[in-house]
Amino acid sequence: MERLNPRVRPVWVLLAIVRSGIFGGFVVGGAVAFTRGTDVGIDESLLVWSAVALAVVVLIVRVVIAWLRYSVWRFEVRADSLYIERGVLTRVKTVVPFVRVQHVDSQRGPIERSVGLATVVVYTAGSRSADVAIPGLTPDRAETLREELRQLAIESEGEDAV
Amino acid sequence: MKLHPMSVPYRSLSRSLSTGSLFFFVGIIASPGGAGGNLLVIGAMVVVGIVLGIAYEYAYYKRFRYEITPDTFDVASGVVSRRDREVPVRRIQNVDVRQNVLQRALGIAAVHVETAGGGETEITLQYVDEAEANRLQRQLRNGSSSRSRSRATAGDRETTDDLESGDTRPGEDELLFEIRRNELAVLSVFTIDPGASALATIALSFASGFDPTTLVPIDLLEADLPGTGLIALAWAVLIFLFAAWVLSAVLTFSRYYGFRLTRVGDELHYERGLLQRYSGTIPLEKVQTLTIEESIPFRWFGYGALAVETAGYAPGQSGSRGTESAIPLAERGRVRRLARSIEPFEREDLERAPLRARERYAFRYIGVLCLIMGVGYLLATYTEVVEDWHAFAVLLFVVPVAAHLKWANRGFQFGDRYFFARTGFWRRTTKIVPYYRVQSVVYQQTLFQRRRRLASITADTASSAAFFGRAATAYDIDVTRALQVQQGLNERLQERLLERKRRRQLDRWFDGDDVGSGVSVDDDQKSHTDGLDIDGLDGSETTNGGHGSRKESPTEPEPPDEHEHERRDEPNETRDRPSSEDDRDRTDGRDSSNSQ
Repeated sequence: MERLNPRVRPVWVLLAIVRSGIFGGFVVGGAVAFTRGTDVGIDESLLVWSAVALAVVVLIVRVVIAWLRYSVWRFEVRADSLYIERGVLTRVKTVVPFVRVQHVDSQRGPIERSVGLATVVVYTAGSRSADVAIPGLTPDRAETLREELRQLAIESEGEDAV
Repeated sequence: MKLHPMSVPYRSLSRSLSTGSLFFFVGIIASPGGAGGNLLVIGAMVVVGIVLGIAYEYAYYKRFRYEITPDTFDVASGVVSRRDREVPVRRIQNVDVRQNVLQRALGIAAVHVETAGGGETEITLQYVDEAEANRLQRQLRNGSSSRSRSRATAGDRETTDDLESGDTRPGEDELLFEIRRNELAVLSVFTIDPGASALATIALSFASGFDPTTLVPIDLLEADLPGTGLIALAWAVLIFLFAAWVLSAVLTFSRYYGFRLTRVGDELHYERGLLQRYSGTIPLEKVQTLTIEESIPFRWFGYGALAVETAGYAPGQSGSRGTESAIPLAERGRVRRLARSIEPFEREDLERAPLRARERYAFRYIGVLCLIMGVGYLLATYTEVVEDWHAFAVLLFVVPVAAHLKWANRGFQFGDRYFFARTGFWRRTTKIVPYYRVQSVVYQQTLFQRRRRLASITADTASSAAFFGRAATAYDIDVTRALQVQQGLNERLQERLLERKRRRQLDRWFDGDDVGSGVSVDDDQKSHTDGLDIDGLDGSETTNGGHGSRKESPTEPEPPDEHEHERRDEPNETRDRPSSEDDRDRTDGRDSSNSQ
């Protein structure tokens, strides 16, 4: 089983902080606006402080999940399929037979580029897990993996996807 | 080929209604008279709108061309921006014909062609002649179903046949299903049409002269009882529900009136509708998943529904509503029989989830109830909105029953050729997925499932119905069994694909000989059609010549002996074929030519 490049961990943590920051901004801002605008029978500072507490809890949970995600993420190129294991709260294990691979992309977003990482996305014709992405690869590994998957998909030459 | 000339006035009419009304409002705004509006100006604007509409439709008609070539269906259209579209006939998933009352009177019909991918209908012909619509439907599905046919002879012959008779050849259609009166009645009475409530609102507001209170019999309620307001409200709700129910029954009745499902070759063909006629095809070769749905009132009466899902769309999605299906309603036995005639799946013998799954559901429901009551308690203590928060505690008695029912209605089967997954008490759906349609296998385990060593397995297919409905998921099965099933699904997929590939190669090599011999491929219905409908080809030598030049040569030729063997096993060796010696030579020759 292959693991991701450890450099992906700070990226995920950073993303978690940014996202929960946005969420917290909305919640706390909403609470403040609500207590200013109306006069309900509830203690005003209580509402605001509980909003802050919620935001902090969300932040901590998200950061912990982002931190753990790296240790859970695994993938393997098997003889006839691609196997992926991921998910902290909901563990997901996906088997994608090469016969079903439609096309393979490698992507590099701005954040990924800044830390020198890349993502490989595998597309199938399926409706639920239509695409499977493997993040946190070095650009070289992403290239070789994409090429490998492409070759395997061609070799396993199935019939029409649908 | 062009559209039917009647499509100009028809389309103009439907368009003028929209553009005309648009110009009507523009006229009101633009009229110099100010608030009142100048009748002449408004009239002129409306006329301009209508004339523009007609002109556009005429140009549309003039510039619209479609044509069926041996491999593609070509459509060139567009007035302002032109578009030429070629759809490979083999890729076509469904061909639908739709007609409303007016169109039926005019003898025109709309044809919709669906391919996989993309949410929209790929080709829409508005409108062609009825007979032409049926011819197109027939010809396109002939083309799409036979990938290895030789088009030179068979294709041409069929085309001329169609042109002459304009109809299907008798004896070829096999009636699979026709809705019975009692089935239609039960369906109409118990189906809740989502559109009906909106229609009921409109109807009621008209009936009451836009004053809802007039419908409530105030006289009856004049008695000075406490809670009169509540009774009036209940009365209004009752009337509304009744109206919605009647409308829903009428809509459902007219939608499914005269439902017929026939099998033509390797296609299913359905027709339905009282006022608006629908007909469509479902190529059996492209069936992704079968879904048997047994919802609660119907299940009590022993009825069920069947949906046949392709990658184009499930027949239900055509009108963006999920209530239509391959068979809207039939007795359970008939549904099973029909489903088996489409996919010959084995007996259903579902494995149940382990008993600890039932515990899980019970705990889940208790948790949800506690949450509700907790919120209720908080609201009750801090505000005056809620008072009797503990009333929900009564529901705790229902929890064991609910948990058991949920558990009892779930199950899966990891069969020989098919994967079954059932779930849902109110709307019990059983998904039947052929292994060779599986796209990927997903194992999922939530935090709560992990505590009880349970997991869910989803066999993902390309069926577009899964976007809206349920996927084929086996819920809450034991972890070790889940991993085993996940591995097994992948293995069986590979096995089945290999088998199909091998058989296709066989068909390709021998399809000159197999003509009309009704190759008995009992296990895998759809693949044998590849080589089947090449009637009208008997000179095997000529076909072989054609096949030799085919580009897609088999990559890994099997040892000839094996084919030899399999071929001998075929039952109806009635044709005078070349002797087995010759056969061997031929295969060998092919092999060597491949390896060159």
